[in-house]
Amino acid sequence: MNSRRLSAFVDALVAGRRSGNLRADPEDADVLRMAIALRASRPGDAEPDEQFVSDLYEELLDQADSRLSPSARPVKIRRGRTALAAVAASIALVGGTVAATQAITQRPVAPSALQVPHGQILRTATFETAGHQVSGQIVAYRSHPSWVFMNVDVPHYAGTIFCRLRASNGTTVDVGKFELHNGTGEFSRSIQVDVGRLRGAELVTSSGSIIASASFA
Amino acid sequence: MSSVPRRSPRLDGQHTGSSDGDVIYLRVVDADVYTDWESVYRDNVDRLYRLMYSRVGNRPDAEDLTSEVFRTSFGPLRLASSKGEVRAYLLVTARTVLASHWRRHLGLAVTSIDPARDIAYLAEPPGSEQPSDAPLRTGTILAALPDRYRRILELRFLETCSIKEAAQAMDITVANAKVLQHRALHMAAKVALELEQ
Repeated sequence: MNSRRLSAFVDALVAGRRSGNLRADPEDADVLRMAIALRASRPGDAEPDEQFVSDLYEELLDQADSRLSPSARPVKIRRGRTALAAVAASIALVGGTVAATQAITQRPVAPSALQVPHGQILRTATFETAGHQVSGQIVAYRSHPSWVFMNVDVPHYAGTIFCRLRASNGTTVDVGKFELHNGTGEFSRSIQVDVGRLRGAELVTSSGSIIASASFA
Repeated sequence: MSSVPRRSPRLDGQHTGSSDGDVIYLRVVDADVYTDWESVYRDNVDRLYRLMYSRVGNRPDAEDLTSEVFRTSFGPLRLASSKGEVRAYLLVTARTVLASHWRRHLGLAVTSIDPARDIAYLAEPPGSEQPSDAPLRTGTILAALPDRYRRILELRFLETCSIKEAAQAMDITVANAKVLQHRALHMAAKVALELEQ
């Protein structure tokens, strides 16, 4: 495989697209495998989409016909906390800190700051609406680079949502935007912010309305 | 007639071939079994997806392959089997499905599933969402690379920057970024091989 084809394969991987059809030589296998391993280790991407899980269940239900009870319908699998812990764990592991994995998986996701070795820090908080309804979680991890990850569940909302971080001195930083489908979505990004100085985060609609906010302890 | 069997059932549940008409044979079933198809699906879909994702690195292919495993498995699968047997069957099916995927798309088995090694993906205790040491291994590989090689791979694969964005972040040309990425991947692959030895 020449470098142009390898670049095309990597471009597809990075963009989250199918790798497509191309002929690879045996000596390419190690490099392709490495590219896949790197992409697969990116925090936040290894969890299946809930819509996919539900759709496949429905398809199998049809296929199985009488083998599955017609009344059985998929129970929406709420993966919020465990998935978030897993993502936080993978962030920590990519950063090389196993201790952080143990810390986050042994505690509930709630406003907290988990001290980890070597000056790194892992902070979590829960998004709540103005009516104090839980609508997601956020993890910020200080490393090189620092990361923020969040999952959001805002029923009846679909479309673009913006995330804004608030620092302890009152300044705000726009982290980025992402799409909510059927009210749910996940987002992760490296950040150039001192995680230790974060006070909170806000989820803002394209019209500027704050639909949920979170406060780090 | 007594309700108590005259002979003890064989623990392996196999019929002895005795001609005794009123002997009751019991099949010893592992208590850890699935009771219905939905529980097979719900218990394994996330885990199987994660395994496939780790082998192909993109969501569309991982979803297609996960779907194919369940479609293929659910016909012949026997619910009377233990959870371990069901998962082993899913894993063997997954191995075949993945091998077929690579044969079609690259003509080369870039990644594979080893049922003995990868059973941890399906058999880990509930709540353990990270059965793989892949992130740790990736971190180790990246740490072993020269700074510029590590940076281009971080920008591309972990921060999902386009090659143009990565070039801008590193203040180099796009052509240089492509060369750097190519060399960095080769060196990372070499480091990975050394770690395996």
